[in-house]
Parts: sequence; C-alpha cells; structure tokens
Amino acid sequence: MSNDSTKSIDAGLRTAIDKSVSNPVMFFFTSGAVWLAVSVLLGVFTSVKFHTPSFMECFGGLTTGRAYAAHINVLVYGWCFQAAFGTIIWLMSRLTRKEFKSSATVLVAGHLWNVCVGLSLVGILIGKSTGVPWMEFPKFSWVIFLILYLFIAVPVFTQFRVRQGGHVYISQWYLLAALFLFPWIYGTANIFVHVIEGSAVMAAAVASWYKFALIFLFFLPIAFSAAYYIAPKVTGRPVYSYNLALLGFWALVAIGPWMGMQELVGAPIPAFLPYVGATATILFFLPAITVGLNILMTIKGHETLAKQSPALRFTTAGTFGLLALGGFAIWLNLPSVMKGTQFTITGYGFEMLALYGVFSMLIFGAIYFIVPRVTQREWLAPGFIRLHFNISVYAVIAIVIGSILFGILLPGVAQEQFSASWKSSANANLASDWFNTVTWLCALIANVFFCFHLALMWARLGRHSKHPTLLVDHHGGSAHGADGKVQNI
Amino acid sequence: MADQKPDLNEDSNVLESHAELASSASSARENQLQENGMEPVSLWIILACFFGVLVGGTVLGKSGGFSYNNLTAKGYVTSQPEGGLEKAVQPKPIIDVFAKNGAKIYSAKCQGCHQPNGLGDGANFPPLGNSEWTTSNTLAFSQIILNGVMGPIEVDGRTWNGAMPAQAAGMTPTDLAGLMTYIRNSFGNSTGDVISIEMAENAIAAYKERNSAAPITVAELESKYMSDLEGAVVDPAVKVDPETLIPVAE
Repeated sequence: MSNDSTKSIDAGLRTAIDKSVSNPVMFFFTSGAVWLAVSVLLGVFTSVKFHTPSFMECFGGLTTGRAYAAHINVLVYGWCFQAAFGTIIWLMSRLTRKEFKSSATVLVAGHLWNVCVGLSLVGILIGKSTGVPWMEFPKFSWVIFLILYLFIAVPVFTQFRVRQGGHVYISQWYLLAALFLFPWIYGTANIFVHVIEGSAVMAAAVASWYKFALIFLFFLPIAFSAAYYIAPKVTGRPVYSYNLALLGFWALVAIGPWMGMQELVGAPIPAFLPYVGATATILFFLPAITVGLNILMTIKGHETLAKQSPALRFTTAGTFGLLALGGFAIWLNLPSVMKGTQFTITGYGFEMLALYGVFSMLIFGAIYFIVPRVTQREWLAPGFIRLHFNISVYAVIAIVIGSILFGILLPGVAQEQFSASWKSSANANLASDWFNTVTWLCALIANVFFCFHLALMWARLGRHSKHPTLLVDHHGGSAHGADGKVQNI
Repeated sequence: MADQKPDLNEDSNVLESHAELASSASSARENQLQENGMEPVSLWIILACFFGVLVGGTVLGKSGGFSYNNLTAKGYVTSQPEGGLEKAVQPKPIIDVFAKNGAKIYSAKCQGCHQPNGLGDGANFPPLGNSEWTTSNTLAFSQIILNGVMGPIEVDGRTWNGAMPAQAAGMTPTDLAGLMTYIRNSFGNSTGDVISIEMAENAIAAYKERNSAAPITVAELESKYMSDLEGAVVDPAVKVDPETLIPVAE
C-alpha cells in the first residue's frame, strides 16, 4: 500500500477511536469545566472574606471555613479529577490504537461522580465538613469515589492490556503510573484519617502527604502525559530526548511519595519527617526541569505554531509554569524560608500554582486539542480562546506574586519580629488576600468563557469545517495544514 | 498484487475510501507521533540536577537525624531575637515598666532639687515621699509638675516658700505617666496604682486649658484641681511589652 493510503487508514482509525470515546470524554470535560467555574467563584468568596469579613455574612454556608473548603474540594474533585479522567481515556485509547469499548460504564460512573461531588458540596456548605484539608467532603464520599474510580480506571487499564503493538509511549508511562498510584494514595490517606483512630497530629501529617501525593503522583503525571502527547503531535517532531524523559519519569515516581510533610515543620511530629518532605520537594526540581526542558526543546523552533495553536500555546505556558514550580519547590523548602511559610497562604499559592498554573494549563492544552477531534467540529471563537489564555496567565502570575511572594515577604517576615504583635503580622496577609481576589476574579472571567465555549462544542455547535481554529492569522505553512487543504491525506 | 486481481483491488481501495469518508478533518490533518528522539542530554541539565540534589541533601542534613524522640529540628525556633532568648525583651507588669521609664525622667528633670532619694534637701526643696501632694489628688499633682508651683506650700508638716519651675516642656503623656507612677511608688510612697497614658493626656489637656506661664499657687490648686485624673483605671499587674507599652496576651 502507498504511504498516502496508510495515512488515510490511520486517519480513519483515529476518527473511529475519537468517536468511541466522544461521550465520556466530552461529559468529563464539560462537567469538569462547570465545577471549575463554581470553584473559582467560591475562591473569590473565600479571598474576599479574608480582607472584608463582613461580605455576605448573612449566609451561614459561605463563612470562610466552609467557602474555603468548598472551593478547594470542588476544584480537586469536581474539576481536576474529571479533566484528568477525560484526558486519560482519550490518550489511552489513542495511544493503544483501539476503539474504547466501555464508554457506557464510564459515562454512568461519571454521572455518579458528579452527583457525589454535588452532594458532598452541599454537605460542606451545611457544615458537615470533616475539617481535614482536601478531604473535607463528608465521610461517606470517599468510598463512593474510590469505587467509581475503579469503574473508570479498570476499563482504561483493560484498554492498555489489549493494545495494538508493543511500543509503550512516554505518555502511557505516566498514565499507568497515575492509574495505579491513585488507589494507593487515596485509600491510604482515607483509611489513616477516617478509619483508624490515631493521633490527630499524625492525621494532619497524613493529610499533608495526601495533598502532595495527589498533586505530584496523580494530577501532574496526567498533565505531563498530555504535554508529552501534544508537543510532538502538533510540532510533528519526535520528543527531544528519550533519556531525559526516562530520568524525569523515574525521578518523579521515586520522589513523589516522600513529599508533603514539610508543611508540618515545627509541629510536634518527629523532626525528620518534615525535613524528609522538604528534601523530596526540593528534589522535585529534577523532574520539573527534565520534563519541562524536554517539552520546551520539542517545541523549540516552532514558536509560530506555539502562538497559533491553542493546544500548543497552553502547553507551552503550562510548561513554563512547571519550571517555576520546580524553582519554588527549592526556594520554599530551604529551612530558613520554610519558617516564614507557616501560617501564611504561601502553601496555598504553591498548590494553586501546581493545580492551576501547571495541571490546568496543560490540560486546557489537551482539551483544545481533543475536543475538535471527538466532536468533529472546530472551535467557534479564537477570541474566546485568546481571552481564556491571557486571563489565565494573569491569574497564574497573580498567584505567584500574591500568594507565594507576598505570602512570605510580608506575613512570614512579620511573624519573625519578636516584639511585634501577632495582629500586625496577620495584617500583613492583607496584600496577599487582595491579590487572591484579583487572581480568582481573573480566573472566573477566563473560565466562564471557557465553560461556555466548551458547552457549545458539547452541544455540537462547533464550526463544521476543515480549517482549524488558530489564534493568530497565519501566512504560509502550519502543521494543521495550509488553509483549505488537509495535510497528510 | 494488484496485477493478480485486475477486476477488484480489495487491498487498498475499499479501506482507503472508507477511511477517507469516515475521518474527520481534525483527525486527518494530524501529524503522526514519531519514535522518541535521542538527543544527547545537555551538560547544563545534569549540572542543574546535581544542584537540586546538593540543596536537597543539605536540607536533609539539617533534620537532626532519624529519631522518633526528637520533635524539634535544631535551629528551628519561630521567634528568636538578636542575641538569643536570654536577652529578649520579656513582657513585664505595667507598673514596673512605667516606674522604670519614670525613673529616667526623674533623674533628668527632678533629682537636682528633690535629690536622688526624693526627700528634698531639707532647706529649700520639699520631699516627695511622705507628701500628700504626690499621693492623693493626681490632677493637682500633675498640674504642679507641668506648671511649676509658687510657695508657700505646706508639705510634711512644714511650709516651703520656694518656687518650682514648670516642667511641661518636652513632657509627653508617656513621660508624665511614667514619672507620676514612679514618684507615687517610690521614696516611701506606695499607692500601688498606675497613672495611665490616658490620664496623663487629660493632665496635659488641663495644663493647656489653664494656658498661663505663671506657676500655679496653692490657692488655685485648691479651688479647681483637688481631684483625681480622669481615665480608665489600669490593672498594675497587666503585662506589657517594655518597648511598645502594648499589653501582651499571656
């Protein structure tokens, strides 16, 4: 057969695979985007409450403690998980070159997942939160989430087992690692916090470990998986270095499980535990620069594409976010700086940089790539995408300046003043709080547009065209094919 | 192969045409993923990794070793003033802090006449200890300090005819509160109370209201000033920061 006909058959197979996963993938992305908008709105409420405590004080459900817990948990379980599920299913099906057979099962699990998130959110707002960071959802929910996860993960793993061809691509390493690590992380954390009655300090330590394990062993691997797919796919060149990818992967898997307890430095737990956590978090610098540079070197030389293609633009921005995260991982965990991060929102800023600046940005990139394929329609409005991108970048910058930098420089330093009153150092948080309000207002604008755009695509109202939606008017060549012509057929 | 099947080329045409019909534009225009690149890893990346490991190792080294009994890392004290905890400014009872500040004012402004022991010289300058003027009617006492006083004035069973100059110049409410608290609890006096800064502010307000350069006389004092200063009473045992004078929560 000729090369052209192989390509044409490939395109047909790709389309068949995309159609087979269309329903669950679009469901996860769209409902995730709705939860993201809800979470960001709750983020605005939370930060406004910090600097203007009288705001909305007539609503008991929106007191700071409840709004904050709802904001974080909806972000994690509503948006991050569902965005991750959509990405996992699509990537695994594409990379195993087989149609996905379990769409119905996964779709049912996805609906139940949303019901569970909704009920748990109501639980938090009426005051039934457990009070454990990132596990505030009422106790009933964790078993349900774990079971639903298995209904999503087992079909994906089955998909891997029946794959065509023996080669396992870099993205699949990360997907498999995340698939297997999650039940361990989630089960361990919930059993130690909710089932086994132990020391409350140890429960706090386990909760910190859970938080970091979830970010660095589940969410970020899936984001890396997407980036390792999007960057070479759009640029049309191989991933820069296989060895670097190996190093980045094994470094993350080896380091990730040790992270987290540095949050408890100064708490009455054995002193080596926070220091081990700090060391591991510093070592996250290794996977951050290896993965980050590997992806950036893959994109290098295709700067025009990185401007034009929504997928590649978000991927590039998320990769820069990853490099920043690696740098902050070192700086924030130096013993001298670590002291200043206690009782400030620096830790929150670091988590938000990981979840929004890296994970969400890379997943947005994947979504802008995946959605036109599974819906077979093109994105409607480049203006919406540009707006989503620009304002998201502003939000990430505001997170870095407001939460991470001001979080240390002002309240952290103020706390160390021996003769100053505690109130004066608490007041130093105000700058961060105002910045946070700006952050989440930016993110709110960006994500309302994103959510609306995605909902239109879900409703199959996208453009029916052979022209991709590009962000910059292009002259001449584009890997998406020249105007009016479809490449590779 | 096509040559052997002249009428129907089922190897390619059917699949091809179906694929082309079925494929969507976006799937069709994609690049294929290529085999992984094998670019050599840059020395700079390796050096950066070593840097990360070095910093990590340093931090691990500060953990104080693997021990379940060690709950506080060495060097981890959230608040430590310069020179160590021993030299730290510790909160003290407000009466002690005020009296200590007052003693400094006293030695600068008062002890030349009233003597370091506060008992006067026995000839021209009356004693401050064992004196009704200092221990009762704090408003009158404050006005004597601020305006000065013109004799004759009866103190400790004797009549004194000297003239005391005004001391209001440069006297802040904090200074006045400290000075009065010091005198009322020294030289044999022990009222055990504190003249608060609020009271001292009221005293200075009364001084400004009088608005006269002439020293006050006993007749004037007795006509208008025989009362205590207004202002909330402060518990003399409450602990304050000696520098900021702000109460410290225990």
